[in-house]
Amino acid sequence: MQNPHPHHHQASASCLLELDDPDATEKWAAELLRECARAISEKDSGKIHRLLWMLNELASPYGDCEQKLASYFLQALFCKATESGERCYKTSLSVAEMSHSFESTRKVILQFQEVSPWTTFGHAASNGAILEALEGEAKLHIIDISNTYCTQWPTLLEALATRNDDSPHLRLTVVATAGVGGFVMDEIGQRMGRFARLMGVPFEFHVIRDLSRLDELREEELGLREGEAVAVNCIGALRRVGVEQRQAFIRMLRTLRPRVVTVVEEEADFTSCSGEFAVCFDECLRFYTTYLETLEESFPPTSNERLALERECSRSILRVLACDGDRVGDCERREKGSQWCRRLIEAFSSNSFSDDVVDDLKALLKRYRAGWSLMPAEGDASGLYLTWKQQPVVWACAWKP
Amino acid sequence: MLSLRREKLATCLKEIRRKGRMSGEAISKAFGSMQPCLDSNPPAAKKKRNLPGTPDPEAEVIALSPKTLLATNRFVCEICGKGFQRDQNLQLHRRGHNLPWKLRQRSSKEPRKRVYVCPEPTCIHHNPARALGDLTGIKKHFCRKHGEKKWKCDKCSKRYAVQSDWKAHSKTCGTREYRCDCGTLFSRRDSFITHRAFCDALAQETARVTAAFNNVESNMLQQFPMSHIKPSVVHGEADQEVKQRLALWMGHGSRTNDPLDNNTVFGDMHQVGPVSAAATLYGDLLNSSSNLHQLDQSQLSWVYSEKLPSSSNMGAITSASLPATSTVTEAETSQPLLGSLPALFSSQQRHLIAVSDTSATALLQKAAQIGVTSSIPFTGSFESPKGQNANVRDRFDGLFSSRSQPSNLENIVPNFAVSNTFDVYAARHGSPRRDDIGGETRDFLGVGVHTLSQPSINGWI
Repeated sequence: MQNPHPHHHQASASCLLELDDPDATEKWAAELLRECARAISEKDSGKIHRLLWMLNELASPYGDCEQKLASYFLQALFCKATESGERCYKTSLSVAEMSHSFESTRKVILQFQEVSPWTTFGHAASNGAILEALEGEAKLHIIDISNTYCTQWPTLLEALATRNDDSPHLRLTVVATAGVGGFVMDEIGQRMGRFARLMGVPFEFHVIRDLSRLDELREEELGLREGEAVAVNCIGALRRVGVEQRQAFIRMLRTLRPRVVTVVEEEADFTSCSGEFAVCFDECLRFYTTYLETLEESFPPTSNERLALERECSRSILRVLACDGDRVGDCERREKGSQWCRRLIEAFSSNSFSDDVVDDLKALLKRYRAGWSLMPAEGDASGLYLTWKQQPVVWACAWKP
Repeated sequence: MLSLRREKLATCLKEIRRKGRMSGEAISKAFGSMQPCLDSNPPAAKKKRNLPGTPDPEAEVIALSPKTLLATNRFVCEICGKGFQRDQNLQLHRRGHNLPWKLRQRSSKEPRKRVYVCPEPTCIHHNPARALGDLTGIKKHFCRKHGEKKWKCDKCSKRYAVQSDWKAHSKTCGTREYRCDCGTLFSRRDSFITHRAFCDALAQETARVTAAFNNVESNMLQQFPMSHIKPSVVHGEADQEVKQRLALWMGHGSRTNDPLDNNTVFGDMHQVGPVSAAATLYGDLLNSSSNLHQLDQSQLSWVYSEKLPSSSNMGAITSASLPATSTVTEAETSQPLLGSLPALFSSQQRHLIAVSDTSATALLQKAAQIGVTSSIPFTGSFESPKGQNANVRDRFDGLFSSRSQPSNLENIVPNFAVSNTFDVYAARHGSPRRDDIGGETRDFLGVGVHTLSQPSINGWI
C-alpha cells in the first residue's frame, strides 16, 4: 500500500493533538490503539495505515506510560496486520535468552519484589498454604512450576528451619520450560542448595528442563517417592498451557496426589474472545495498562529493571495478540480466577487461606507503597485477590484433593 | 586456659548426667573461679537470688492451677465489679466507694521463700527441681509456652501470648536492620532473606564457617590464603547458623572416607556439646597440627571454584574443605540430616581424587576452562537469528537509516525486529551484549569479580 502524502498525514496527527479538551488527550494511546484494532478486525487498510503511522510518531518505549503503551501495542498490531507475529516473537525470544544471565535476571526480579508486591503476594500466600498443609511431615516434595526463578523458596526454607527444632527434609523439583534459560536454573539450583545448607534444612534440588511444552509433563518424570508429602506450586504456570490442554493438565496434577496445590495467576481473560480481535484487544489493553501503571508507580523514574520487565511485557502482548496457535514458546492466554476455579473444581476442592496467612499478607502489603490491598473472592470463585487501586490484578488460591 | 574451661564443663556435664540436676553448690564450685566476684556483704535490703535453674531446696513449692495463672484481675470490687491485679489496688479503690478498706502491712517476719511449678505435665518446669522463683515469672512462662497467642504485631504479624512481650516487640519491629555479607542493608526481613539466598557473598559462606571456628584462635586466618574474606556476622543469626552448619559439618566428616585424609592431623575428637567448646577443640587441634600446610592454594581454589561440573556442589565443597574429619565422632543431632546425602558424596569423592593429584596451575587452568564451557553455548555472533529474518530486516533498514521510503506498510513503522532494537539499546547504554560469566575476570579462587556498581543501601549487586 502506498502512502504518497506524508505531509497530509502529519497534519492530521497534529490536528488530533490540538484538541481543546486536555482530558481527551490524556489517554490518547488507548483511543488510538482501539481504533487501530478495530480497523484491523474490519480489514480497513487505509485506516490501518493512518493509525499505525500516527501511533508510530507518538510512541516511545522510553517515554511516559501512554507512549510506552502505544509502543508495545503498536508492535503487536503491526505484526498482526502484516502477519509476522510468530517470526517477530521468535526473534524477541532468542534475543531475550541471549541477553539474560543469572545476574541480570536476579537483579530484575529482586528489585521488582522490593518495590512491588505483584509477585511476593502470590509467594507469601502459597508458602503459607504449603507450610500449613505439610505441617508435621518429615519429607516434603515441592513441585515448582513457576515463572519467578525460585525467589519464593528462601523465605519458605527459613520458615522450615525456624518453626520447629527439627527441620523436615525438602526436595524441590523445578519444571522449567524453554523460556527459562537452562544455565540460569543451574546457578539458581546451586544457590538454593547453599542457602538450604546455611539454614540447616536437608535439601535436594532437581530441574526438569527437557519439556518443549508444559503440557508434556508427566508423573513419571517427577520421580515421586514413597512417604513424601507432595505440594504443587503453580505461579503463572497454568496460563502457559495451551487453552485446549488445560483441563488435561489439571487432571495430570491430580495424579501426583498432592496434599496441596497453590495457584497464582494474573487476573485477565484472554481466552473468551479468540474469535473477535477487537474484544480481545480491549481486555489486553486494560490489563497491561494497569500493569504498566503499577510498574511506573513502583519503580524509580529511571530504572533498567523496569525496562527489562516492560520488554518482557511487550513480548507477552505480542504473543497474545499476534501469534495464533501454540507453536512458539509458552501460551500467554490468561484466564480470570473464576474461570480457573471452574476448571480446578473438577479435580480439587478449594482450601481457603487461614487467618494467619491473611494477616501475613496484610502485613506484607504494609511494607509497600500505598495503593495495594486484599480482596477475598466472591460468589463461585474462591481465593484471594491482590488489588491495585481497587482493581483485582493477581489471584491466589490453594486447593486440596 | 581453654583446656581448664573444658575440664570444668566436662565435670558439670558429668554431674548433671549423674544426678539429673545439679545443686547450686556443685555449680558454684565448678564455676566459682570464673564467676564475677560478688560482694561478701551485700546491702541488707537486697533479696538474695539463687543461681538460675537452681531453686532453694528449702523453699515452699507452690503449684497453681492454669486458671489461676492465666487470671489477670483476681481481685474484684464487689460494688462495681472492676478487677485489679493486686489486693492493695483493690483496697484503694474501695475507699472510693466509702467501703471499709484495709491495707495489709508487709509481714514482719522473714518472708518464706516460695517457688512455683508449671501445671503443664510435659513442661520441664513441672519438675520441682526446675521450679521458678517468681510468681510473675511463672505466670508469664505458662502464658508464653502453653497459652494462646492473642497479641499480634501489626507490621510483621508475629504473635505473642504475653502482652508485655508484644509491646516490647512492637517498639523494635521495623526498626531493626539486616546487613548482608555483601554490605547491603535491609529494613525488611523477607527481602533480606531472599537477597541473601541469591547473594554472591553466600559463596564465601564455607570460608566464613572455617573462619568462624578460628575466631577463638585468631591466628588461624593467617595460615589460610583467604585473607580477603572477612568473617562478618549477620545480626542475630550467627549463633544458630554456626550451630546448624557445625552439625552438618561434623556429620559429613564422619560419613565420608575423605581422600585428602590426614589421619594424623586430628586425633580422637569428642564432641562435648556446646558449640563453643567444639569450636575450641577444633581450633586447638588445628593449631597443633603440623600438616596444616597441606591445605594449600590449589586445594582451596578447587574448593571455592564455582564452576565445578558436579551437579551439586554440596559434596565437593564441604568434604574437601574439611580435609581430615574421618575420625570425628558424629554429632547425634545431625544424623537424620544425612539420610540421602552419602550417595552424593561418594560420587563426588572420586572426582575430587582425580583432580587433587594435579598441580596448582593445572587446577586453576581447569577451573577456568570449566567456567567457560558451562556458560550458555553462545553462537559466537549475533548474526544467525538475524539471518533468518533477513527479509523483514531489509524492509526495516530503509527507515532505520532515516531515509523515508514510504512505499511499503512495513516502512512506515520503524523496525520492530527486536534484534535491531536491542542493538540500539545496547549501543545507547554501552552494555555488553551478553552478561555471561565466561569472559569476566576471575580472581584466583575461581570466584567471579563483579564489574557492576558498588553496593549501596538498597543497591542491588
